Amino acid sequence: MNRRDAIQRVALLLGGTFSAPTLLAMNHWEGNAGKSASAIDFNVTDQQKLIIAEVAEMIIPRTGTPGAKDAGVPAFIVMMLQDCYKKPEHVSFLEGIKNLEQKDFLKLDDSQRTEALKQVERDTVEQMKAYQVQQTKMGDNEDREQMAAQAKGIPYWRLMKELTMLGYFTSEEGIKSSFDYVPIPGRLEMIQLKPNQKSFAY
Amino acid sequence: MNLNLKAQKANTYDAIVIGSGMTGGMAAKELTERGMQVLMIERGREVKHIEDYDTAMKGPWEFPHRGKVSIQSAEEYWANSRFGTLANEETGEFFTDDKKNPYIEKRPFDWIRAYHTGGKSMHWGRQSYRMNKKDFEANAKDGIAIDWPIRYEDLEPWYTHVEKFVGISGQAEGWEVLPDGHYLPAMPMSAPELYFRETMMKKLNRPVTIGRIANLTKPQPWHTELGRASCQYRSKCARGCPYGGYYSSLSGSIPAARKTNKLTVLHDTIASEVIYDEKTKKAKGVRVINQNTMAVEEFFAKIVFLNAGSMNSAALLLNSKSSRFPTGLGNDSDQVGRNIMDHHLGVGANATVEGFENDYVFGQRPNALYIPRFRNWGTDKKDFLRGYGYQGGASKSDWKRGITMDGFGASFKEDMTRPGTWTMGFGGFGEILPDPSNRMFLDKDKKDKWGIPMIVFDAAFGENELAMRKDMMASAVEMLEVAGFKNVSGFNRQDTHPGLGIHDMGTARMGKDPKTSVLNKFNQVHDCKNVFVTDGAAMVSSSCVNPSITYMAMTARAANHAVEELKKQNL
Repeated sequence: MNRRDAIQRVALLLGGTFSAPTLLAMNHWEGNAGKSASAIDFNVTDQQKLIIAEVAEMIIPRTGTPGAKDAGVPAFIVMMLQDCYKKPEHVSFLEGIKNLEQKDFLKLDDSQRTEALKQVERDTVEQMKAYQVQQTKMGDNEDREQMAAQAKGIPYWRLMKELTMLGYFTSEEGIKSSFDYVPIPGRLEMIQLKPNQKSFAY
Repeated sequence: MNLNLKAQKANTYDAIVIGSGMTGGMAAKELTERGMQVLMIERGREVKHIEDYDTAMKGPWEFPHRGKVSIQSAEEYWANSRFGTLANEETGEFFTDDKKNPYIEKRPFDWIRAYHTGGKSMHWGRQSYRMNKKDFEANAKDGIAIDWPIRYEDLEPWYTHVEKFVGISGQAEGWEVLPDGHYLPAMPMSAPELYFRETMMKKLNRPVTIGRIANLTKPQPWHTELGRASCQYRSKCARGCPYGGYYSSLSGSIPAARKTNKLTVLHDTIASEVIYDEKTKKAKGVRVINQNTMAVEEFFAKIVFLNAGSMNSAALLLNSKSSRFPTGLGNDSDQVGRNIMDHHLGVGANATVEGFENDYVFGQRPNALYIPRFRNWGTDKKDFLRGYGYQGGASKSDWKRGITMDGFGASFKEDMTRPGTWTMGFGGFGEILPDPSNRMFLDKDKKDKWGIPMIVFDAAFGENELAMRKDMMASAVEMLEVAGFKNVSGFNRQDTHPGLGIHDMGTARMGKDPKTSVLNKFNQVHDCKNVFVTDGAAMVSSSCVNPSITYMAMTARAANHAVEELKKQNL
């Protein structure tokens, strides 16, 4: 019996029940208190964290608007890899970071860093062909388990770029500074773009 | 258990409705509005309209994983996660934890469930199309399975009745393949879509229309009376709409039933059996189990409506054994649980659209284009039976295009803040033929935590569906190429199974002959006529159009019949 069930059981013994929001809060609490047994550890060193932050900032730098670091993207990337990705992606992501460590990435100057990332980008084209994540037949529960045994996942650069962009363009800083944020449009209208018009975000 | 007479009286209603989803809600509305005291039994938690839509007004940054499914969630919602992102933080609370509610797959079945008030009506796709005349005649004409006991004309007034109440926006077109209904103003098409519509008609003689969708574009007085307002074009329907902009049981039929003061709703209550009375040869009520306390109780009524969702309604029949019905209530024909159908999907094509650079859209349209069936229709003849429709449309690409593009840095960032090019894509929804070997049944030994036998699924796509899928991809590619779009690429997901369309149906089919069917033409169990099954279980063939509006029309018709028969003392 997990904690949520235990608490519910007690509430029922006392003749009451919890409201949906309370239960939802308990879910969050539980989620924060301890990960499920199946969660996989994904550990990065302090130096690797610095590299993640520097690369994220190079993808989305601070300009007239906040950059990736301002929007908390580096921590978001590590959290996402821990929570939403399995071993194959962990392997390929760490492989990419180690590659940058070997190049002494943090000691390079700006133009050298840019050139290093351009090289990574070129290599990724080849990696995508070699890795080619197979469309896995998810026939039943057991087939899903076999997925975890896949050796390599999506290449480092694609993960890095996707998570940087996702983390930035869905952050409050990123969305409000980059787009015309309209949470409640209220109408649907076909329009013409004005010069230099930003995208709408909803 | 011992029930004294006082308790029995307190537990007695005119009608019991099992399930609060799309058809349960409609059954409760129609029955209460005709004067019946109704007990609605919902197996899941209570969700209150507006106040329990916890995620409805959240900004994207308020979701820790920003719409991605965590590993933990993917494990708990393993069937849901086969679909894609159903178990994410935006809508996950409105789907069922598969780990806590397990089922068995002899052959894989993607069973998507929603155990809470409103059921799957909380996050349905809302596309609402009438089945056409030929859909009802198809089985008889093809010599497939059995004939429908009803025709289009039988359902026509009830389609109208339901469409007006629900509020469907769309465009009347006068096409035989897609009968017109009663529509609120249609949502607009974008410039590339208008071009596509014109080109398809001119070059391929294929009609294209805007989706007919249960979102209010111009609320009518009977909508606003229930507290519903116009769609706000946020396209966040699946989180629950605080405006009541889209139709769900929670925003529509349940409030309507409550207004009569004749509705009682039980939550967290799992119906385990329909109780058959050997003396009267009728059902006298249902046995339920509280899903938290495990307490068992019985409720009684003159009529029982099963609206638990096709698979659970059939499971309930199978679990209701008596000496008259030793293999399950209404299962003389051995057809309960058989003939599972769905709409198969995950196949279509995408393209990029050149031109229309300055055309843009304000607001998010919670709708798509619809291309009705053109295969095996009119003079068209293919080497498979039946057909499919497509849903899709054009959209202006946003920052996500950058993920697969080369580039990074300041100018890349700047570029991502501007709208990109248009893309267009379509996915097919294909008809599945009824096949008695596609079935579900109850496991002889394994039981769930409430002591109810677990459901086993044993179904797969047949040759006809696989052949149709190839054509679905090829035709989608053809249309996008004929339109002159670039980078056309087809897709045909291989990891799909029956169930994934979330249009599961057919497990207690209607029919004229009790030897080959479970229900009569008014959805009554043959030989136990006060039990009605009016969800997707009743379907005899699947058509290729989204089914909810048909289920609702069938439910309203059956409810009307039930009350008429009660008045005549025939039940």
